[in-house]
Amino acid sequence: MSGRRTTFSEVMAGTLRLAGEERPRPMRLELDVDLPGVLRPWGDTEGALTGRVVVPGWADDEAASGRLRVAPLAARRIRYTMDFTAADGRRLHLDGWKTVAPRRPVRSMTSLPVTVTDEDGTVLGEARLRFDLRRDLAAFLASFRLPARPDDPMRSRWRGRPGRLEVWYTTLTDPATGTGVWLHHELVAPDTGEARAHGWAAVFPPGGSPVFARFGPHGWSRPEDAVFTAGPVVQTAGRLTGTAGTIGWDLRESGGGRPLHTFPRWAWERELLPAAQIVPKPTAVYDGVVRFGDRTLTLRGAPGGSARIYGHGNARRWAWLHADLGGGDVCEIVAAVSTRPGLDRLPPLPLVRLRVDGTDLPSGDPLLAALRLRAGIGLPTWTVQGRLGDRWLRVEVTQRPEETVAVDYADPDGAPAVCHNSERADVRIFLARRAGRSWETEREWHLAGTGHAEVGLR
Amino acid sequence: MSAMSGTISLLLGIEDAGELARVTAGAEAIARTLPGPARLGLAAGTGTLDALSRLTTGRPLERLDARGRDALCARLASHAATSRIVETVKIPLLLAAGTELLPGPPEPDAPARPDAALDCTPSREWPACSTADTVVIGSGAGGAMAARTLARRGMSVIVLEEGRRFTAAEFRERPPLDRFLDLYRDGGATVALGRPPLLLPEGRAVGGSTVVNSGTCYRTPDRVLRRWASLGVPVEDFGAHLDEVEATLRVARQPVEPLGRNGLLALAGAERLGWQAAPLRRNAPGCRGSSQCAVGCPHNAKYGVHLNALPQACEAGARIVTHARAERILVERGIATGVRARRPDGSCFEIITPRVVIAAGATQTPLLLRRSGLGGHPELGRGMAVHPATNVAGRFAEPVESWSGVMQSVGIEELHGDGILIEATATPPGMTSFPLPGIGRRLRGELDGARRLAVLGAMIADAPSGRVHGSRHRALLRYDLTREGAGRLRRAMVAMGRILFAAGAEEVLTGLARSPVVRDEDELTRAAAAASRADLHLAGFHPTGTAKLGAGDTAPVDPSGRLRGVRGVHVADASVLPTCPEVNPQLTIMAMALRIAGGIA
Repeated sequence: MSGRRTTFSEVMAGTLRLAGEERPRPMRLELDVDLPGVLRPWGDTEGALTGRVVVPGWADDEAASGRLRVAPLAARRIRYTMDFTAADGRRLHLDGWKTVAPRRPVRSMTSLPVTVTDEDGTVLGEARLRFDLRRDLAAFLASFRLPARPDDPMRSRWRGRPGRLEVWYTTLTDPATGTGVWLHHELVAPDTGEARAHGWAAVFPPGGSPVFARFGPHGWSRPEDAVFTAGPVVQTAGRLTGTAGTIGWDLRESGGGRPLHTFPRWAWERELLPAAQIVPKPTAVYDGVVRFGDRTLTLRGAPGGSARIYGHGNARRWAWLHADLGGGDVCEIVAAVSTRPGLDRLPPLPLVRLRVDGTDLPSGDPLLAALRLRAGIGLPTWTVQGRLGDRWLRVEVTQRPEETVAVDYADPDGAPAVCHNSERADVRIFLARRAGRSWETEREWHLAGTGHAEVGLR
Repeated sequence: MSAMSGTISLLLGIEDAGELARVTAGAEAIARTLPGPARLGLAAGTGTLDALSRLTTGRPLERLDARGRDALCARLASHAATSRIVETVKIPLLLAAGTELLPGPPEPDAPARPDAALDCTPSREWPACSTADTVVIGSGAGGAMAARTLARRGMSVIVLEEGRRFTAAEFRERPPLDRFLDLYRDGGATVALGRPPLLLPEGRAVGGSTVVNSGTCYRTPDRVLRRWASLGVPVEDFGAHLDEVEATLRVARQPVEPLGRNGLLALAGAERLGWQAAPLRRNAPGCRGSSQCAVGCPHNAKYGVHLNALPQACEAGARIVTHARAERILVERGIATGVRARRPDGSCFEIITPRVVIAAGATQTPLLLRRSGLGGHPELGRGMAVHPATNVAGRFAEPVESWSGVMQSVGIEELHGDGILIEATATPPGMTSFPLPGIGRRLRGELDGARRLAVLGAMIADAPSGRVHGSRHRALLRYDLTREGAGRLRRAMVAMGRILFAAGAEEVLTGLARSPVVRDEDELTRAAAAASRADLHLAGFHPTGTAKLGAGDTAPVDPSGRLRGVRGVHVADASVLPTCPEVNPQLTIMAMALRIAGGIA
């Protein structure tokens, strides 16, 4: 299927003859159609139908919805089914279709007989609607759009080019025990050689040493019905399963909220930066089982998130934070120094997304906002502070060495990197607002051992 | 006066102006209901006779006096070609004359059974777009059973019927000929072409041909079932299905009281010959012997499917759309998705459904499939069996009044093993289907003496030699009587003659043009032997086998009733019978439909 949809608006008007009534009533359908793919006359496609059903004095529902099947040649039929509410509150159903007659194409494609039934299927009336070519054709044609299909942010972006790195990683904290779980799925397409899928899993029990294990590498084939597969490790839209060494997991992922664009949206969609990160599911909830060593962790409603990275490789130095602030609020930070010559001499660029009460800060482009922020990358503590629009932000992340694992990475060009990961990070976030000549703390969060963070060094 | 009234005056010997006007009006009413070619044929026949009159006498028919008409009659009868034209034109005219010249039905008393509650909606009130779990095309014997079975299973079922609903009140109030013209497709003038041509009347009403059949109910003979089993048709549970159908139709042996003299004479004749004969088993509990089965029972005593299976289907939620002619089955990528039907005003409506059960009858089912682009199987429409039938009449000294009693009353199964089934079958009052001999004054005399005639009919098990041509709306039927079939018919005529003579008939009317009247068995045997195939006057009543069911790919329908080559289409009518059923097929068709519908997922 193409990456585009077809949308258009259509108006049809005519009369509705209700059972038991002598005089027909006027009726009008104002429809917005959203079809998957580019509409082709010889195709057979079905999509969503929304709009307004108006029968003066009997029904006027602006929130009618249903389905439209468009198969004018394949089945000689364009079928409209909709549910709407009558003025008296009854839920009603509308079903009708244009039967395309090759000998009378215009007449048959502009006439729509419709049967209106109630919830029991009893026929309440029959409408004869027409699409008025003279009045509505221009508006109908002008309404056609072929917008890009909203991309599934979890779907692999790799299209076979060498020198690419793609990462799916899920981090979560068990609210009952405070144990953190980190699942890292990685696709590396080296500059030379076959693409390989591998990754690692880590469990961070509070007060204990993290348990870490790798899986793969396995050959990569674009999975049809999954996000990522590598041997026993599978990630689908709502499920994560797999084993790595002594760690095994079977998790259901639900919820997630709106995707959080830590990098500018254009950077993710157009791939104009060396790499970009996105959090498709910043506030997801996990249920299931994680086994590590001889212990079993049963998760019920564990908060966490699933994020993605796609690009040419890891940064020269970087720090990352995912802090679930509760109530749907979340703070996501990527502070990185590019590996590109020249850029590698610049200080780390902190890209910050703070979602508070459903509003994402900064409100503008995160890359521009990053210019007013400063990051100090180090271990065990790293910080980001600066202006966030008209606010002032300070984030302080402490990764205790005993609750941090160091993981070796290899970029597509073979360059090594070491990443220090912890799901037991302490996080302090201050958000202040100007009050007169000074700053006044607006919100403050302290996370004790539930922050998910990493620091990458060369 | 017109060529029509002139012809009636000539052929039927009618001189009274009032009588002539009434018969002419009746004949014109018949002509209006005939299909185009038959109407044209009738006009050509009357026109030819008028032209012959002008050529031979210098006057048009209507200006001939009595002597002139007699002379012309003699001339017409003396030539084989003109005689054949006369015999053809005579049939509809006799039908029209019957209403005027024969005694009509007695004044009916109160109906024995009220009309059944049916959920019928005329197609003009049916919406253009609707959906259903199953659409059954045809409400006859097969369609009713399929609709009942599926509706009782909880499916939403819509039954499409080309005809309309008739009520017993209508049957009581209207004359038989009017009803006849209304109840049958093409006014009852459906003809299968061949030598000889064969009349093939088909009912067209809610209830299909079960509204107009004789009510005779034979179970499928075991030898027929064995034959079907050998063709790969599962028949193990057919007996149980027949039992259920018999219970639905309340089949019972016809009591002797309302039998009428026609049936009693047949019983007497058979008894004197020592032949096996008995009143028939019928689905007519409470039959009063009004002899009107073929034009709709005025008492609702004949228990057609419009009085049992269809109301039971409606009770389970099925709906019947009348005046709806199935135009085509809608198919997408080899799967049935709906049905398009046409209203009498030419507009169409569609029903979206995943299941279609075709029960349009043996002559219409192949046409519908071809219209739908599903008629690709080479055997579709071929191999039609029709039970060719003929009849003879015996003239008795005393009145018989065959139209008073049970229409089809007695079965004589002496020769059934040889494929000949004799049934005492009269004609509804006010109608005549027997080809009375002669023309002019002689024919008029025969009409006046019709009350002394007893009529027997015989149908034979035939070879599947018929074929349904056409792919649009009118079936072109072809049926060629085989040599063996003609032999059986001749044998049947002789056997019927023997029964009539044994019952005391003075003479037997054969319906054969060359020797229309015989006075003893020898003469009858000689007359029958001398009759060529083309001379036999035939009718067929049970077209079957045009979409045969069978195990191999040579049959268009698989043993479960599913049409091969498409998903979601089943056939459940007389078309699927693998061979000629050799008996009146109502029970067989219904039991088969029951079996097929039971297997629909």
